[in-house]
Amino acid sequence: MTGSKESFTLNFKAPEFSEELRSEGAEFLQDLPVPNRKTERWKYSPIAKLLNGSLKTFGSEGLVWPEEILPDPVPFLNSYRIVFRNGTYVSSLSDFPVAEGVVCSPLSEVDSVEFKNTYHRKEWVGAMNATYHQDGLFLTVDKNVILDRPIVVHHLTDGSDTASFLRHFISLGEGAGAEVVVWCSATDASSGMCNSLLEGHIASNAYLVIDKVCNEGGEIFKFSHEHLIQERDSRLKINTFTVKGHWVRNELEILAVGAGTDSVFNGTYMPTGLEHVDNHTTMDHAHPNGTSSELYRGIVYGKSTAVFNGKVFVRKDAQKVNAFQQNSNIVADQGATINAKPELEIYADDVKCSHGCTVGQFDKEALFYLKSRGIGTDEAKALLVKAYVGDVISSVDRDEVRNEIVRLYSERHGWE
Amino acid sequence: MLKIKNLHAKAGETEILRGLNLEVGPGEVHAIMGPNGSGKSTLASVLSGREAYEVTDGFVDFDGVDLLDMDASDRAREGLFLAFQYPVEIPGVSNMNFMKAAVNGNRAHAGLDPIKGTDFLQKVKECASLVELDGRLRDRSVNEGFSGGEKKRNEIFQMAMLQPKLAVLDETDSGLDIDALRVVSQGVNAMRSSDRSFIVITHYQRLLDYIVPDFVHVLSGGKIVKTGGKELALELETKGYDWI
Repeated sequence: MTGSKESFTLNFKAPEFSEELRSEGAEFLQDLPVPNRKTERWKYSPIAKLLNGSLKTFGSEGLVWPEEILPDPVPFLNSYRIVFRNGTYVSSLSDFPVAEGVVCSPLSEVDSVEFKNTYHRKEWVGAMNATYHQDGLFLTVDKNVILDRPIVVHHLTDGSDTASFLRHFISLGEGAGAEVVVWCSATDASSGMCNSLLEGHIASNAYLVIDKVCNEGGEIFKFSHEHLIQERDSRLKINTFTVKGHWVRNELEILAVGAGTDSVFNGTYMPTGLEHVDNHTTMDHAHPNGTSSELYRGIVYGKSTAVFNGKVFVRKDAQKVNAFQQNSNIVADQGATINAKPELEIYADDVKCSHGCTVGQFDKEALFYLKSRGIGTDEAKALLVKAYVGDVISSVDRDEVRNEIVRLYSERHGWE
Repeated sequence: MLKIKNLHAKAGETEILRGLNLEVGPGEVHAIMGPNGSGKSTLASVLSGREAYEVTDGFVDFDGVDLLDMDASDRAREGLFLAFQYPVEIPGVSNMNFMKAAVNGNRAHAGLDPIKGTDFLQKVKECASLVELDGRLRDRSVNEGFSGGEKKRNEIFQMAMLQPKLAVLDETDSGLDIDALRVVSQGVNAMRSSDRSFIVITHYQRLLDYIVPDFVHVLSGGKIVKTGGKELALELETKGYDWI
């Protein structure tokens, strides 16, 4: 049985800011359909079950931060921090940068934001975010200013039947630089939905690094949409690690609006049990001399499912573009499923594009080699898995972040 | 040490071993020679537990245990070592982590605690010098980017680290130049002892100038058709296999 679209949003409360966006969002929310199995983009990630829930938004009043989750998810990292709980800003746990040329605060405390993202006009999920977003990170960095430490954006879902809506806005001026860690946690007793959107503008010659980690217990439907716009000669690196999550959809869109951009985006996923992880990526080269490199690796265990859809567009005038895409998958158990679909559309004639997509099992020869030295089957597999995803994780620049991701994966998959 | 009785094995639908019998005593070195396709490498694979082969008949007793009843890891832990004809490259797994896992896997089986870091490094140093394997190769991913000779030296290094009761060398000499062959053979000879046995599978007599066997067997059509001393290898070198 499926609940109705209208009744689903009945208990969502919108705070009083960014009214223009909210009213536009509300209109589209009425008109846009809930995606179903016939909707191509959602074919392998049906969300009908979500509507069965009776979810509501929460404030943060009177709540105690749960002991089992550290407010600081990367404890050894020298960083700034902005913390949210069930969509609401937690000021007592946050620590903002104060520097010339940097504005960093919760979105709810900013007078007006010029959102350019139009996801709410295309998808029901996006319209919900525009209408109900509760808070998020607001960050602008002025020309030639480099943020001295990474900012950790930590969101915690805590409680059953929660609906959380986050909207982050990042804008880097010419030659500016920033690193952001977007971390999502949830307590084991949690359920509901977490719907987040990140809009990032990277001006010419600026750089943005984002490490995104989902480490959520409980049963949460997680929608995460990142939209990044790169101007001339800007650099972007975004890593998406799904460590743990009941149902996760990562959508990443990178739009190169100037020449000479460099985009690196990687991801790993290792769902177990009945988990579901979906990665949809789009790289759009509309200008010459850009480079992009994409590496996603996953292993599906148990009865879990994973989806990879990677689109690369190289438009007519985007000559001398060098685009690389690789997606590899290992199906570890018989009941597990992977749906992988690389899509390349190339309209320019002087470009270098390569892509590969593989779905396979553990390398039997490698496994036998390890076992023939007295290493047990489970440990041999762990060694191979660690090497396989470790390759992707090694692209994280900060040791503290990388070590924490490896530690979480190790704990979960018994690597050591 | 090892008793193989009436061993039959097939790969897919093709029967490759057809009633092979062989006994290897402690401290003995047995060379197995034979034409291409006679079943030499299949024997190595079946002994070490490669899953692609199915044993249809026969029995293998390894120092009192039923070898065929165990999976590859346990065979190794019982003291069997296979030096691969084509050592596998494993990107992302460092040679050192690999060896540490192997040494500790074997120790756990013997009821011992994991090896201490300093003891491990000392052991690595000793074994690496045995086959002139330099530090650069030790620290790299398993066999990744190694030359053919380096891969074979890495096999003997691993053998030295694991101190097996019985080592099966599967065409360890193939593709080696004379220097590498000398280094590999020195490593093997240094490990010969009264309680360690070797089965040396080779296509070429040349190796047996360096690793001198106690027995030479000719494998043909999936069974051993002739057995002799080391002089048999020389005879095969000059006359070929057709006269047997």
